[in-house]
Amino acid sequence: MKIIVVGCGRIGAELANNLYKQGHQVSVVDENKNAFNNLPPEFEGRILEGDALNQDILIRAGIETCDGLAAVTNYDPLNAVVSHVAKTEFNVPVVVARNYDPKLRKLFEVFNIQVVSSTSWGAQRVEELLSDSEVRTVFSAGNGEVEVYELHIPAEWDGKKVSDLITCNECKWLAVTRAGAAILPEADTVLKTGDVLTVAATMEGISDTRKNLKSRKEG
Amino acid sequence: MFVVIAGGGRTGTQLAKYLISINHKVNLVEYRKDILSRIHKEIPTEAIFSGNPLDTDILEQADIMHANVFAATTPSDADNLALCYLVREHYGVKRTIARVNNPRNAWLFDKKFRVDVAVNQADILSRLIEEEMSLGDMMTLLKLRRGKYSLVEEKVPQNAKAVGKQIKELKLPAKCVISAVIRKGELVLPQGSTIIQADDEVLAITDSEGAKQMAELFAMPDHP
Repeated sequence: MKIIVVGCGRIGAELANNLYKQGHQVSVVDENKNAFNNLPPEFEGRILEGDALNQDILIRAGIETCDGLAAVTNYDPLNAVVSHVAKTEFNVPVVVARNYDPKLRKLFEVFNIQVVSSTSWGAQRVEELLSDSEVRTVFSAGNGEVEVYELHIPAEWDGKKVSDLITCNECKWLAVTRAGAAILPEADTVLKTGDVLTVAATMEGISDTRKNLKSRKEG
Repeated sequence: MFVVIAGGGRTGTQLAKYLISINHKVNLVEYRKDILSRIHKEIPTEAIFSGNPLDTDILEQADIMHANVFAATTPSDADNLALCYLVREHYGVKRTIARVNNPRNAWLFDKKFRVDVAVNQADILSRLIEEEMSLGDMMTLLKLRRGKYSLVEEKVPQNAKAVGKQIKELKLPAKCVISAVIRKGELVLPQGSTIIQADDEVLAITDSEGAKQMAELFAMPDHP
């Protein structure tokens, strides 16, 4: 595939090199030529120094025939504008933008652009790790609006029902793994110490479930 | 009318001051600290909103929902483009005006990003300079239609080619219309039969091609 990466910062350079190693034809665009130092020496894709709003630069990068474009600079308006141009003017089939400042996320929604909010996603992940070691995220859907978690059942919850632990509508139970074998749990499935309960939940759902886990430990 | 302006640099502040002076309501959004402290001295505090205009909370504080016109005058073309699209698509603002900072980006300032009027300062300035260089004593009073047409004033010297001729004999091009002649302080409404005299001040609406022909007709004979 032919892919254009706009922005050669840490994310851009890593992305461009990964795509290159997988055998894709990659062009990287950045205004600042020092940014290309972020690329490892073995990277042999194309590099173009210039403003990504400049039509000549986009055309030289191959926007008319590319299969995908990623706008991953640390400047949100630029990412949004380049993505919009790629989508509407050049009909690039897949366009993904990076949202750097979480306060500007709305902009990408208005442009209807697929977006990865690396900052909010990272902050959420760290927060989860800090707040609880018994709850682990195993999968993020969308931009982390819904996540799949593994809960390690402590001794305090031995013998209790799944529906006692999960009391919020925003949290759904998916599986109980006991001694390496998984089953689909019912509301009245009884938990045992050391079980791993897999759930899908929003932030609100998981914080409610966390509270339940803790309350029994403390009470 | 109610106008929201994003960007309080010289262009934005000047625009805000002018609009306020002719009794329009203006809200100006700016986030650069140094500029904010300057504009507080120039425009009323209640018209200034500090924050990033691309943050929808800030735009809403500035009451973008009720704006009749939005003007994007930040020094970033990406910001100006994204802003115009945002205010039209998300808030339904009827008219958008954007400043073009880098003339190379001018191709983006149209319906792609819901820009109704693009103000390309570099372009206007370069046309102006070009004219001033080639047209000698002619003075441009006003730029019309994004600088394509101008209202120009020319003082007719002694011995100019046009002196003693009727306007219809001048064979001015179609896109050049003499709209007023000022003679000894009095306004003469020009007709085809009006005879041009020395020391007349001639006002015309013209494109740049017409301005060149006018310059030739009204210039001193030894004019280069």
